[in-house]
Amino acid sequence: MDRSPIDFGALTRNGRIHGSLYRDPAIFEREVAAIWNKVWVYIGHDSEIPKPGDFVRRQIGLQPVIMIRDDGGAVRVLYNRCRHRGNLLCHRDRGSAVTLKCPYHGWTYSRGGALLAPTFEEGYDSSLRKEDFALTPVERQGAYRGLVFASVAPTGPSLDAHLGAAKEYIDLFMDLSPTGEIELNTGTQKLSYRGNWKFLPENSLEGDYHGPFIHRIAFELHGKRTGLDMSSLYENQIPDVIHSLPGGHMVEDYRGATMAPPKRPPSAARLAYIALMEQRYGAAKAKQLLSTIPPLVYIFPNLLYIMTHIRRVQPVSVDETYVYYQPMLLKGAPDEINALRLREHEFGFGPAGLISPDDIEIMERNQRGVEARGNDWQFIGRGMHRDKLLPDGRSSGFTMDECHLRGMWQYYGRLMSDPDATLSA
Amino acid sequence: MDENRYREWLALWEKDALYWVPCNDDDIDPTRQVSIIYDDWGRIEQRVERLLSGSVLAQDPKPRMRRTVSNIEIEDGAGDEIATRSNFTLVLAKGGTQQLWAGRTFHKLRRVPPSFKIFYKKVMLVNADQEMPLLQFLI
Repeated sequence: MDRSPIDFGALTRNGRIHGSLYRDPAIFEREVAAIWNKVWVYIGHDSEIPKPGDFVRRQIGLQPVIMIRDDGGAVRVLYNRCRHRGNLLCHRDRGSAVTLKCPYHGWTYSRGGALLAPTFEEGYDSSLRKEDFALTPVERQGAYRGLVFASVAPTGPSLDAHLGAAKEYIDLFMDLSPTGEIELNTGTQKLSYRGNWKFLPENSLEGDYHGPFIHRIAFELHGKRTGLDMSSLYENQIPDVIHSLPGGHMVEDYRGATMAPPKRPPSAARLAYIALMEQRYGAAKAKQLLSTIPPLVYIFPNLLYIMTHIRRVQPVSVDETYVYYQPMLLKGAPDEINALRLREHEFGFGPAGLISPDDIEIMERNQRGVEARGNDWQFIGRGMHRDKLLPDGRSSGFTMDECHLRGMWQYYGRLMSDPDATLSA
Repeated sequence: MDENRYREWLALWEKDALYWVPCNDDDIDPTRQVSIIYDDWGRIEQRVERLLSGSVLAQDPKPRMRRTVSNIEIEDGAGDEIATRSNFTLVLAKGGTQQLWAGRTFHKLRRVPPSFKIFYKKVMLVNADQEMPLLQFLI
């Protein structure tokens, strides 16, 4: 581990990031221990498992877990491993279970993880206690507005402390729903790319800078269809849009960048939606929520909200990553509004979209680019001379600045320089 | 499609078109579940416009590809319409690797002399529920 030339504590000093952070398998291994096995990791949203027995299969770093709703209706995050011989208990991506039965030797668990019966019980010592063989819950579990997080570290900051200032931005996109609730049981577009996982958050929240170069056509087409004036996306002098938040989170906050409403009149469904929003939030807040694009949010290390969807980042190895796109529907909104959200999402995102595939292609090329070792540093110094550091620990910059990336990397560096990190590997 | 003749491909479609590539399962409710592609004619046209713009990074350089269509079944439809079901395999070379794509396609065609036009195309990918690479070509 110590052969790494990286001084993690000094990451981003001078706005520089070392290429080995994207390509060195030893660094990836350290990330698993120091980040994925330490911090709060986003698992899923409770609307994905509406009924008792519903489950989805997820990972915390490289460890398989399931998120399941138990008989009492509580959401539980359990290690996906049979207590008998360690077999993967649940191998389907999603489904609904009456009981969880291991296919190997038939050990069967309740939907909350209690061992109902080892098979051929008479062969076990009579002192075997079933309660010693329940499925193992992940060490810590918490939720915010239905977003379920878990951490395999038994101690550490609370989820509330981890999310901190980011909660305000989670509220902003969740409040697009006239009931305040979202639905993520909408299917999942699944994508893989040959590149490091960190390229994804880095790229996902700096669309203002790279947008004019790689998304120009897609933005023009979007503007043409929706009647929105997309030119404001190329504006680079709006202050206080880009933020880094304590905890490694990043935000693009467009509340200061109101968009001109589309020229064509709103549809009946849109008017009904606006009325529902005004009913719930009052005219002023509803107007503010609907007058611009909602914030783009990255919750360290694996959750993003981008325009239409929740995006989940899943590292596979140092140079391979999976991305999951789940469109966010608005509970209580007219069906037509939600169907339109799906169509807008498909237009932009997923493997066949017109926007994010250009980002994915760039990330794969980025991975190859950082194999060149001459002058092995990247530069994320845009706006460094004018960063605003706020008392609550956030930094704030202009639309195209990179202060959010510097914030993420500083937090990353803090986690990675923890000398205890390797112990839990 | 294999030769990236986008304009000619666009001309094959009727204006009431639906071009659908479901996600996760072959049969989903597209009003509640996400698809990989769910295009009306306007969106098909925009898809083609972007491909023609030369700015699609995954098409620079254009990947070489060839597909084989087989197991074709043809059914009579209402009036001037017919439905066809077929299988395809597609090999695409890109970035030093070869990708293999496969699926079953359900076409609905309308007779428009001197030939037919497409007004419905549903492509059921065998990997619709798997992590997949970019799909930035005509499927």
